[in-house]
Amino acid sequence: MPETTTQEIIVRAFDVIGSPLGVSSDDGQKVHDKIAPLLREGRKVSLSFERIETIISAFLNAAIGQLYGEFPEDKIRELFSVRDMSPEDLALLKRVVDNAKLYFKNRAQFDEAWKEELGREE
Amino acid sequence: MIHKLGTIRSSREGFERLALLWSEAAILYSRELELDLSECDFFDANMAAPLGAVLALIADKFNRIEIVRVRPAIESVLRRNGFLTNYGYRPEEDSGRTTLPFARFQLDDERLFADYLKRQLEGKGIPRMTEGVGKVSQQSVFEVFQNAVTHSDSRLGIFVCGQFFPHEQRLNITIADAGVGIRSKVRAYLKNDVSSGDAICWALQGGNTTRTGSRPGGVGLKFLHDFVERNGGKMQIVSGDGFYEYGNGCGTLRLAELPGATVNLEINTADTQSYRLDSKITAQNIF
Repeated sequence: MPETTTQEIIVRAFDVIGSPLGVSSDDGQKVHDKIAPLLREGRKVSLSFERIETIISAFLNAAIGQLYGEFPEDKIRELFSVRDMSPEDLALLKRVVDNAKLYFKNRAQFDEAWKEELGREE
Repeated sequence: MIHKLGTIRSSREGFERLALLWSEAAILYSRELELDLSECDFFDANMAAPLGAVLALIADKFNRIEIVRVRPAIESVLRRNGFLTNYGYRPEEDSGRTTLPFARFQLDDERLFADYLKRQLEGKGIPRMTEGVGKVSQQSVFEVFQNAVTHSDSRLGIFVCGQFFPHEQRLNITIADAGVGIRSKVRAYLKNDVSSGDAICWALQGGNTTRTGSRPGGVGLKFLHDFVERNGGKMQIVSGDGFYEYGNGCGTLRLAELPGATVNLEINTADTQSYRLDSKITAQNIF
């Protein structure tokens, strides 16, 4: 893998999806597909939400959440950042990030525990 | 077939009546359904969304539908929001601009839905809220819509309708689909014969999702639940014979099953709370 380069690449979500609305998984996937190859090359990436008016969890799960299935957490912390996000959108991103970490860590155990719980109620 | 539909409020009884309509009319094929509203003394405008979904399923089996004997006050409400114009009634102007008109979207119409929402919410209370609350309210509505897009498999589309109550400072919006329902997806995923009520409760828990694969899920409905709690709003989710109401938990419809899934959201537009993060968490340390 190439060395980490110091110059940060700014990926502008608005330009990738061509709209101020991050309200679909498919648009989130387009953003992800811009970010992931750069991280794989060891580039620093900052995702800008300038001119984005509305985002939802499905968009963020596809754009950012799935990175946790592809890269170790410390790599994401080292190379990836966001900017130009409103405080409310940051709150949603926090939920998405925390959920993605759990989703990729202990999904099977989590589901098994639920099955047992539901089985007890019946 | 003639079916007499009683009063329809955003309540368990209202949903029971729509479920009964479906259970009786589901057998029709290339016939006629006369929906008689003479015994309906009240109709919550937003409930046109699940009624629209049920009627779309009936019409899909080549049945002709006629809505008759509608009382004048109800006819006026359902003409103003455009619902009855689908059944041959003349439109009526919404001079007070308090309705979010009845609309039907296809599953890939996310941007059309966004345009609808933006156009319809202007002047209906959301601008009076703080910018942050308005933003989170819109996110919540989008989450409901996206949930239907992702999980419903509703080839007949997604049905939306709402009503703004300026004096009460409340906005009701309902999103219904005519898809497979929450239970079937959760059963297939958990490989467990959960009831509809349990399936709804399962889906509301943070981290629970029937999604598999590289894109995580399980945030949207929990986000919605937490928003309703903080906003002082209301939420109902109905699917199959499962009936969930925020504050009262999960229960069952006693008489029949409603196809697809419906989410009723009531937003308190007088809300001025903050929906921001704990100040210790920033864009720099969020990952």
